[in-house]
Amino acid sequence: MKNRIAIFLLAAAALATPALAQTSPLPLPSPVEKELAARASNVTEVTLGKNMLAFAAKFMNGKDKDETNTRQLIEGLDGIYVREYEFDKEGQYSMEQIEQLRKYFETSEWSPIVRERERKTGETTDVMVKLVNGETRGMFILSAEPKELSIVLILGPIRMDELGKLKGLGGLSALGDVEKNTQGKAKEKDKKGGDQ
Amino acid sequence: MEPESIDDFENELRQSLERRPAPPGFKRRLIERRSGRRTQQQRGHAVLWQRLAASVALACVLGGGLAWRHQQEQRQGEAARQQVLTALRVTSHALNKVNERLTSHGRADQE
Repeated sequence: MKNRIAIFLLAAAALATPALAQTSPLPLPSPVEKELAARASNVTEVTLGKNMLAFAAKFMNGKDKDETNTRQLIEGLDGIYVREYEFDKEGQYSMEQIEQLRKYFETSEWSPIVRERERKTGETTDVMVKLVNGETRGMFILSAEPKELSIVLILGPIRMDELGKLKGLGGLSALGDVEKNTQGKAKEKDKKGGDQ
Repeated sequence: MEPESIDDFENELRQSLERRPAPPGFKRRLIERRSGRRTQQQRGHAVLWQRLAASVALACVLGGGLAWRHQQEQRQGEAARQQVLTALRVTSHALNKVNERLTSHGRADQE
């Protein structure tokens, strides 16, 4: 009888583990991050799941318009995963590590909208969006500079018009410009292609 | 009324009003009962005060617990809020850089 109870409990635990794991769509930290964090002089790590975002939203009581807009923005999100590493000197990470990071986060659901490599400066930029039925359901940014590396992963519905309202967090409104720039480039390419 | 019956009545009245000694132990019983009642009253008061004190203590503990919980929640909420703002600041910083690079590339392409 005791054995049966133990088997039942083990089976329940085995069934519950993936179910619990599924509740958080955010990825586990990549193994490369440990190495980067060890070399960085300044590390910022933020991981917020849906529940935590909802909890934080309760404390954004709309004293100013920006806070109200931020609350509206985060209320619908599934999670935010942010890493920022600042280094004292250059060459603290390799291009292989950047590639590993990109591959770690990239899945078939993600479509790249910006991918840039500068050989001279060693700067790289990746911006990907997760599109589900034509709607943006996630955004991934990997920005690497000689002395700085940023990883941003936002999961959930992202409305560009809402981002544009966040003037206090100026850069978020820049996403609209990023989109315009990438669309503009695509159009130019199309034009050039059409002329040929 | 007849004189005979008046005499009877007088006798009866006299007997009734006649001073009689109290039954033995009456005084003791009376004192005991009085002191017992006083003790009971005192005990009742003590119980009442004890209950009141217990209620006040319980209310204080509950109130303190709720206040502590509220304070904890406020602190955690503020920390979560700060984390969101930090995350958005990093996002903002990264997006600005992406935008700057795209703009500078756009200019370079035009030139």
